[in-house]
Amino acid sequence: MTVFGPLGPSLAPWLRSFKGFRGLLKSHADWYANLAGYRQMGLKYDDLLIEERPDVERAINRLTPRETYDRSYRFKRASHQSVLHKNLPKDQWITKEEDIRYLRPHVEEVVKEDNERKVWESLAVSRK
Amino acid sequence: MLAARSSAARNASRLLRNFATVADTAGVKVAAVDNGEPTSAVTFLVKAGSRYQNKPGVAHALQNFAFKSTAKRSALGTVREAELYGGVLSSSLSREHLALTAEFLRGDESFFVDVLSSFVTDAKFTRHELSEYVAPVCEAESTTVSSDPAARAIEVAHGLAFRNGLGSPLFSSGHNHITADLVQEYASSVFSKGNIAVLGTGISQETLSKLVEKSLAKLASTSEVSSTPSSYFGGETRIDSHEGPQTVFIGFGATGAPAAELAVLAAHLSPQPSLKWSQGLSPISASIPPTASVKTVLLPYSDATLFGFVVQGETAKDVKTAASAAIAALKEVGSIKPEDLKKAVAKAKFAAASSIEGRIGFASTLGAKVLAGSPSNLDGTLSALDKVDSAAFSKASSTLLKAKPTFVAVGDVQALPYADELGL
Repeated sequence: MTVFGPLGPSLAPWLRSFKGFRGLLKSHADWYANLAGYRQMGLKYDDLLIEERPDVERAINRLTPRETYDRSYRFKRASHQSVLHKNLPKDQWITKEEDIRYLRPHVEEVVKEDNERKVWESLAVSRK
Repeated sequence: MLAARSSAARNASRLLRNFATVADTAGVKVAAVDNGEPTSAVTFLVKAGSRYQNKPGVAHALQNFAFKSTAKRSALGTVREAELYGGVLSSSLSREHLALTAEFLRGDESFFVDVLSSFVTDAKFTRHELSEYVAPVCEAESTTVSSDPAARAIEVAHGLAFRNGLGSPLFSSGHNHITADLVQEYASSVFSKGNIAVLGTGISQETLSKLVEKSLAKLASTSEVSSTPSSYFGGETRIDSHEGPQTVFIGFGATGAPAAELAVLAAHLSPQPSLKWSQGLSPISASIPPTASVKTVLLPYSDATLFGFVVQGETAKDVKTAASAAIAALKEVGSIKPEDLKKAVAKAKFAAASSIEGRIGFASTLGAKVLAGSPSNLDGTLSALDKVDSAAFSKASSTLLKAKPTFVAVGDVQALPYADELGL
């Protein structure tokens, strides 16, 4: 995971570049996301990001208070369901529309900042 | 021969101590003076002091947001790039103005003017920068001020004296709930063409005008910010504090443009000796105990002035003695001797002239004049000081005493004197 950055490896941008393939890919992706089972536990995809790393921790700190509250509520609910060995009732499942990448923009921003810092740290200055 | 040569040399090295011209570049006032200094400095002086804020603490947050990320470069990029050029970026806030300053080597002006103008035109004001960088600095600064009794007394005295406008707090306290949106809103209201003066030292007028024209062209030209004209109220408050010396601030306010008489009065009463380790000739200095100190404070603003004494001492008794001496001296200034008045005028003139000696004083004192559209030199101030005669002087001091004083005691409130105990 660390090798590929905080968001993990993804072939999506490459696969998306095949035009005719897109529709097929989309239906398959939705089927796969539902099969993964996190939505049935009341979680969103970004809740599954590994958070024990400095960049993701910083990104989580940048969520609005409301987003932070909702995130911890989903965790609490999911861990309770885990204890019960049960999925949530179907009406409480996270739907495809609710499963938005709320954390990804913040993570991407933090990664961009870290990369910029690396560039400045290893800069070779030459006189014009 | 020798005398003639030395006077010629003196004339040759005489520096220009004013902005020669004020150009109106794309609606922004630009003034620059080049005395051949090895470094240049550019200041964006904005009418964005705490006086114009719509919520307490917003101006302070805006000041600390300076040089954070903009559409052009990130906060880190700004710092690192400025370091590579060897420049210094700073921002300072007063009750009326926000000054964004860049000091740099000659030749780097295009980069540093771009840094300043990109903050003014397209700063991002992100929420995470507010919580990660800006809020901790604001909190540290206001904590520092609240642990200094004299600064705290003057801050509180402004609130008592002017209530709103000039009286609104300069520093944000932890109780002010500042959001990035509030800062953004305030910034968009104050960063407009009529509200900014660009002042340069060590840089030619044409170069600066050209750079400003290019970078500030897209700035909105909305109307100037306004604030209700100041009126003076006065009052008394006592703050329990266990840090620092026992402190009393006794202030007197006057509205209208700052009067030359008050500058002369401050110079006359100031017990600060001109020679180190001496007592000074002020009427106060003989009667203050050695463990106490009295400082005159003169704070001129565009439409009001706060004049007063900061009295500090080890014990409340010392403070009472020293403060009574200061009040007694203030009451007696009506019968000032002509030679004392002459001395005070000379002292006030020196203080006014030497305040523009440094780069910061030069930009802030003359910059305020540029922004207000008045002539950007000290000639008016100095000739007004020359015109002060004993009649005008005693009239000014008696009107000052007629109004209700502003009295702030910080320290042991049980022992510190009340205003009426000092003969006010």
